Amino acid sequence: MKKKLCTLLSGVLALSLGATLFGCGEGPGGGDEPTVDESGNTIIKIMVHVAQQSPEGMAYNRITDEFNASQTAKDNKIRVRVNYNPRSTTGTGYETELGNMLNQGTLPDIVTFDAPNTWSYAEAGILADVSELISEETQNDFFEISKNTYEGGLFGLPIQESSAGIYYNKAIFRNAGLLGRVENMTADNAWTVAEFEDICNSLKGRCDLPVDLQLYKAADETATYLLYPFILAQGGTFLSEDGMTATGYLNSPFTVAAFQKIRNWVDSGYTSYDASDVGFYTGKYAMYLSSGWSIPEIRNKYREQLGDDWGILPYPKGGANQAASATGSWSFGMTTQCRATEQAALVLEWLVSTESSVSITDATGMIPARQSAITVKNYTPGSPEFLLYDQLNKTGKTRPGTIAYPEFSSAFRGIVNDMRNSGNVSSIVSTKTTELQGNLDRYQR
Amino acid sequence: MVGISIAIIGAFLLLLGGFIVKDIVVAKRAANKYVHYTVRGTVTSYLMLLPALLLLCVFVFLPIVYSLGYAFTDYYLLRPGDMKFVGFDNFVQIFKNFSMHGNVYNATMNTLKFVVFVVPLQIGMALGLALLVNKPIRGMGVYKVFYFAPVVISLTVTSFLWVRILGGGDTGLLNSFLVQLGMDPVSFLYDPQGSMYWIIFISAWQGCGYQMLIFLSGLKGIDQTLYEAAELDGASKGRQFLAVTLPGIRSVLTFVIVTVFIGACKIMVQPMLMTGEQSFTITLNYLMYIEGYTYRWVGYSSAIALLMTIVIGAITFVQRYLLKEED
Amino acid sequence: MDKARKIRLAKRYTSRTVVYLGATLLAIFFIFPLVWMIVTSTKTEMQYANDLGSFATFLPNFSDLSTFFGNYVSVLTQYDIWKYGLNSLAYAAAVVVGNILINALAGYVMAKFTFPGKGFISFIIMFLLIVPVETTIIPLYSIVHNLGISGTVLAVILPALVSVFNIFLFQQFFTNIPKEYIEAAQLDGASQLKIFLIVMIPLSAPIVATVATFAFIGVWNDYIWPTMVLPSPQPGEWPLYPIQAALTTIQSIDGVTTGEVMASLVVTSIPIFLVYVFAQKHIVEGIGAGGLKL
Repeated sequence: MKKKLCTLLSGVLALSLGATLFGCGEGPGGGDEPTVDESGNTIIKIMVHVAQQSPEGMAYNRITDEFNASQTAKDNKIRVRVNYNPRSTTGTGYETELGNMLNQGTLPDIVTFDAPNTWSYAEAGILADVSELISEETQNDFFEISKNTYEGGLFGLPIQESSAGIYYNKAIFRNAGLLGRVENMTADNAWTVAEFEDICNSLKGRCDLPVDLQLYKAADETATYLLYPFILAQGGTFLSEDGMTATGYLNSPFTVAAFQKIRNWVDSGYTSYDASDVGFYTGKYAMYLSSGWSIPEIRNKYREQLGDDWGILPYPKGGANQAASATGSWSFGMTTQCRATEQAALVLEWLVSTESSVSITDATGMIPARQSAITVKNYTPGSPEFLLYDQLNKTGKTRPGTIAYPEFSSAFRGIVNDMRNSGNVSSIVSTKTTELQGNLDRYQR
Repeated sequence: MVGISIAIIGAFLLLLGGFIVKDIVVAKRAANKYVHYTVRGTVTSYLMLLPALLLLCVFVFLPIVYSLGYAFTDYYLLRPGDMKFVGFDNFVQIFKNFSMHGNVYNATMNTLKFVVFVVPLQIGMALGLALLVNKPIRGMGVYKVFYFAPVVISLTVTSFLWVRILGGGDTGLLNSFLVQLGMDPVSFLYDPQGSMYWIIFISAWQGCGYQMLIFLSGLKGIDQTLYEAAELDGASKGRQFLAVTLPGIRSVLTFVIVTVFIGACKIMVQPMLMTGEQSFTITLNYLMYIEGYTYRWVGYSSAIALLMTIVIGAITFVQRYLLKEED
Repeated sequence: MDKARKIRLAKRYTSRTVVYLGATLLAIFFIFPLVWMIVTSTKTEMQYANDLGSFATFLPNFSDLSTFFGNYVSVLTQYDIWKYGLNSLAYAAAVVVGNILINALAGYVMAKFTFPGKGFISFIIMFLLIVPVETTIIPLYSIVHNLGISGTVLAVILPALVSVFNIFLFQQFFTNIPKEYIEAAQLDGASQLKIFLIVMIPLSAPIVATVATFAFIGVWNDYIWPTMVLPSPQPGEWPLYPIQAALTTIQSIDGVTTGEVMASLVVTSIPIFLVYVFAQKHIVEGIGAGGLKL
């Protein structure tokens, strides 16, 4: 019987220990040589944040397949492998995984990342400076505001741009006799905040809600992304140049006043924290603050409700004729652990090429981030896309650059969240500023 | 990493060895030879414990020791190479944040509120259901399956469903009926006063089926003749409950109180999925998650974990002491 | 029939009715979200929106039977959810068997053996039960990577084999099994391992069913860890991800309808529900079984 005991125990031991000892030291990646497969091809691994079955994922699939097919050389081909890693509901899984991979030396060659993370990823050594690897011509074709720069280096190129605007239901405006006031608005002759308020006031009672600002999206980045231009346009500030000081910036009188405005709009019934996220789509709300990604949504799923009787208006200008609009989308970057940098640079150029930009933006409804792709797209003036593009070039402002972006966004969203239940905006802003400053100071110690 | 891991496991083995020696010495010195160790028995015991101990050490103990050790460092997820020892700095920051009524304060208060309300609510609901299902009436087995159903469905799924049910505007299930009845939609999950109570209620709803089963097994163990005797003595139903049922399930009740308490202290998923980060629903475990994963300050996050462990451990110890049976 | 008896019977009848009524109301309270989930999974987005606010929201889509299973068809065909489901089943099978053997053995020793160092080990078990484990995923990732098993299924299975809570449950259970069983077997000359396998495990069928059920549920519902250590699906290859990954993928896609999400929730919930229904008889006896002590 002793023997049986031994057999069982050694079985279990072998299972755990054996697994422990085998394969030690042959972890994926980390070698000095680029990963080469048995036929001598260089493998370039890409990790993306979307699901393979999503429209964007299918576009990546197509582009990378085309890349692999384009490799006709007999030997030394480049083979691209894509790892689709959709973000979970809580949204931090993808970022945490990047951190873990960095620590273990298992980063893929190319990753996607959200533009505001450029500073922290560059600083942490996840992203490599590609300014020497990407051709001058390609670099110059991208809009200056869209490039992922940090301390003079180029750490990534955007997949697309994501300008946002205020969607409006033309039928509701027509019935209220307001269509003439907004119909021909462009980024140059944008409305002012006062006009925006006036129109909201006139729309009250003529629809379920004058405007949905997606205030309920303050659980994730969406709220920061959509609302920060409102604050900037009214003279508000967020952080110092180096991204390390919030006191005196986030709690500046202009910032507080701009947040107060949002709260006033809620009080006046112009917008609501409890709006339905399909209220505009189903024709119940007059206006909807959203990104370009709502365009395919409306055209594909809500054509019945809205038809073509809708448009996009620019962000309203602030008092001193200041203007700002949202920018910053997900980008492709090369990691510092990439060994075959020349081959990866080729792949990177392919991923953000004019054709790829057109192909991806066709799927996502966003606008390309490079001039040549815009030329191909040839938007007609007056179309929703044209307004987004025009606005991006004329009033686009990035979110504040800081290596502590998650903390900043959290503070921003915290203010939006807390304003839901308290009208004492200056006290909310001051609490969040103190807390954010404490979080920023951690980086200095 | 490998060196430190071996050192930690070595220290653990040394400690274990120390306790083994201590136990043997104490047993030898004891006047009564009540505890008697044999070499053979000891070797067999440890051989049989080996698989569990080995896996526990590598996959549970080691990560926990690391994580608690990080509490005294400035470990930043994206700069592991720069990790250095900072003493009690993280704890000082935590107390500072608490005293300025920041997130640590909110999280502590919300967790406290959750624990204080959910423990009696969930245990009360569980006991009530167990008493109902335990009635000698046909069909109770089917009801039991219904009451237990939320337990087997994952927290992610039930949270998703309740968000749809309690959602704001007129797209929430409950609100869609309120609107039909001519009332204004209520923002259940974002009401700073009410939101935590909804989370408490939903957690109890989700979890009480499990404790119901535990109580049920306790109830089945009670000698039925005790009830008959009480009946003969003319004891009322309430009196019977206090005199027969409660003492009968005492040890089960202790187990339930302690496990529900520990589970309640660690609440995270419900507020995370149902309201996101809100000052009125953030909990300590959730804050720990945000600090560690969103902000990437693993050291600070581990310091919160260490504080939680100490507090939960102390309270559990007191509970065990208070609830211990007299014998 | 005399009057007194009639009254007594009537009383009993009414009290039963009250009990059934109460029990039914409670049952509705506990399962209506799940019923609503199933019902909604049969509807298109328009039907769902139109039915909200009326009783029809709790009725399946009988009006247009051609779209009744539409969401299921799209979920099952578009996302290969069945492949992920099979993976989860395989992981669950390995974990359930290993989990029971390893933890039962440990629980048995802790309950029935006296050996030096036992106090220390029970202290460690209690300690591990209390620590919040959410942050340990970071060091755990490093450990798994250093062991060289990251990227393999072992990274998912091995850490799941041991559970402090299950050791604790087994220990509670075995404590209450009379010593006589063991002594009798020992007189027959059986080894400790034989006693464990032939005497103790069969005696502990209820607790085994309990642990098996919860180990299964744990593996089935796990998401973050497997997707962190396993390679993501490659076109043309069998994926390694578990079913919850497919669920998250579906939910993360823009433009997925409420009905599709509900259908995917139903599909992922069915297996755990079946396991529970089969095991539930034993679970009741298993958990408490004669008193738990801390």
